[in-house]
Amino acid sequence: MSPLFLFLSFVALLSALGVVLAKNPVHSVLFLILTFFTLSGHYLLLNAQFLAAVNIIVYAGAIMVLFLFVIMFLNLNEETEPHKPALAKFAAAIAGGSLLLILVAAMRNVNPVGYDPTSFDSQIGMVDRLGLVLFQQYALPFELASILLLAAMVGSVMLGKRETGERNF
Amino acid sequence: MTSIILLSIFGILNLFMGFMRSNKVLLPGAMLLLLAVFGANLADWNVVHAPYFNNMLVVDNYTVAFTGIVVLTTIVLLPFSRSYVVAGETNLAEYYALLLFSLVGAVMMIGYNHLIMLFVGIEILSISMYVLAGSSKRDSRSNEAALKYFLMGAFATGILLFGIALLYGATGTFVLSDLAGAVAAPENASLQPMLYIGILMMIIGIGFKVSAAPFHFWTPDVYEGTPTFFTAFMSTVVKTAGFAAFLKLLAVALPGAQGFWLPTIQAMCALTLLLGNVGAAVQTSTKRMLAYSSVSHAGYLLIGLVASRGNLTGDAASGIFFYSLAYSIATIAAFGVLKLVADHRQRDDYAALNGLGKTNPLLAFSMTVAMLSLAGIPLTGGFFGKFFLLAAAAGQGYIGLVVFAVIMSMVGLYYYLRPLIAMYLRPAEEGATPVPVDGIQTATLALLALLSIVLGIVPGFLSGIL
Amino acid sequence: MRPKPVGATFALQRLLVLLRSNLTAMLLVLPAANYQPSDYLPILIQFGLALAFVAFAMIVSHLVGPKRNSTVKDASFECGIESVGNARTPISVKYFLTAIVFVLFDVEVIFMYPWAVNFRALGNDGFIAMILFMFFLLAGFAYIIKKGILRWNEA
Repeated sequence: MSPLFLFLSFVALLSALGVVLAKNPVHSVLFLILTFFTLSGHYLLLNAQFLAAVNIIVYAGAIMVLFLFVIMFLNLNEETEPHKPALAKFAAAIAGGSLLLILVAAMRNVNPVGYDPTSFDSQIGMVDRLGLVLFQQYALPFELASILLLAAMVGSVMLGKRETGERNF
Repeated sequence: MTSIILLSIFGILNLFMGFMRSNKVLLPGAMLLLLAVFGANLADWNVVHAPYFNNMLVVDNYTVAFTGIVVLTTIVLLPFSRSYVVAGETNLAEYYALLLFSLVGAVMMIGYNHLIMLFVGIEILSISMYVLAGSSKRDSRSNEAALKYFLMGAFATGILLFGIALLYGATGTFVLSDLAGAVAAPENASLQPMLYIGILMMIIGIGFKVSAAPFHFWTPDVYEGTPTFFTAFMSTVVKTAGFAAFLKLLAVALPGAQGFWLPTIQAMCALTLLLGNVGAAVQTSTKRMLAYSSVSHAGYLLIGLVASRGNLTGDAASGIFFYSLAYSIATIAAFGVLKLVADHRQRDDYAALNGLGKTNPLLAFSMTVAMLSLAGIPLTGGFFGKFFLLAAAAGQGYIGLVVFAVIMSMVGLYYYLRPLIAMYLRPAEEGATPVPVDGIQTATLALLALLSIVLGIVPGFLSGIL
Repeated sequence: MRPKPVGATFALQRLLVLLRSNLTAMLLVLPAANYQPSDYLPILIQFGLALAFVAFAMIVSHLVGPKRNSTVKDASFECGIESVGNARTPISVKYFLTAIVFVLFDVEVIFMYPWAVNFRALGNDGFIAMILFMFFLLAGFAYIIKKGILRWNEA
């Protein structure tokens, strides 16, 4: 494990914890952006440059803006922050803890076969390779992803458009 | 494949039909388009197609059969959107377009041969459902339903995706047939735990979508808040497609890991039957009762998964097909009647049905047939649905599960008879007027009742087709 | 007889020739067939430099600039509206709708990068695949325009 990998993982975990633990929702979003950047760093270490760039452009760029919009919609002032009951926190901790326990216990002995430096193809994550796979082998899911985007578009317009006669803005 | 292409194009067509001046043509238009899809789908029956697009999609009799159910269900559901047409709903074209798009997702979930297709299909279906759950924008219960469904559904999809990733990590393939080999004879035995966690997470993800316990907690609230027209779609099409995907995953990709998932599914099955039936028995709202009843029917369908033991053909698979069909027909009729009554009387508890036998004999009869079919009384389709599934399970030696399911359907009898008591034995409120029903709805309800009875008298023509 | 270049002129000429040959070499060089994560070192250095410049400019402006503090001068803007207060006021849903439509088309454009890189290799099939994809999304775009989502001042 290279020191760079360890550093990126450390920052990723820390900032992910920050997303959950931060009191201020805007801080959570900023931590999330940091998490996305460290994940992009991981993609770069895996030599998947296109994914790294897309992760920054779409997630850290566009989706985060949506998050901020949602925060502004929700009117999350500290006074109006609902108090979560202790029982819910306790149950969540138990559930999350058991999931962690199971994952760690199950994955402890997993021994993936290491890569073979002589036959390993380091260029597999390049954008040209990805394009060939995406548009040849995965052509059908790619086309149908447009239906997914279209459905999302229609849905957001339907829910977000102001009807004639509605007074709110 | 044809049905996916047609549904996508017709979806867009429907979307743009919304810009026409009159919305009168929308409903018959959508029904005609869906009939065309239904016909095109049936044309593929017994036709052998090579897998499409590098093993992405398989069109065989299994795909055609389940696609037939979901398309037919949507066709007979559409007449109940008449009240939207009458009220001049501005988003009607969007509703129909989203229903058609979500059918694309359903067909992908039925015909997938590659886990990416399963995932994209589930996403298309779920996104449309999240939106439609919240389509009644002025109603805070509808908003709540959409938000709950979206948050929990997005989480379940994430778990499903995590499961797919772990499965890929353990086997190195997404294609179902290759997965079967890699699961049965793993190259790297130390990856086995990763495979098991992957399978477990996929079961959780799909179990959520078909509302099997213990992942059913969203169902009553979401079904109650969602406009009834879309609740009917959710509890039939989403469940049918989900079970088709579930059976295919377990039977084609994971028969090698049967020793692992079979006990899990059995436990889920027993729990779903228990919670669904007991939950339904204590409800006071007809809609919530139907929501819990849809949970309990997920339990009966899970018996089919247990009995299938990794077979996509044979008794259990045919049983799941027949049960899904009978369940969909009865559920559409029940929700259809409930929607008509609730629209007219502005309430949806049992008392809303009081005296319906006097005021609207046809609605009451249709509801009666639906309830009897859901309860599994002989001479209705639901009886043979249960019979085939339980016979398949008994044939495999799961006697305990079968006995438990029979006991639970006794509990079911209790709550399915309550609407009947309300309709025939309780007097209507003072001055209750008959619920207005127009011609096409009358015809659809009659057709649904007829289908239920035909399936219950001569089930032979559809019972062993898979 | 040509005069022999001497001194500074000669040195300059040599430098230009050197530069030109190197430049052509740099521009004509094919993309390295073998990208490695370490190839990102220059970008990392660039990031570092950008950050360092920002820090440098801020520190220097603080050190060098004159200091005149007052409440009005320290306000972020001054136009008669209260400039400090709760930023969490409800905003129009139109902004959100525009943003969400932007994200959807952003994702669409992302799909075009790997396609454009392989435009020749994918041939007709790839072209048709992209046309179909675009057809569905542009149908959505036409729908959005016809619905008037992008018109700001009405409905």
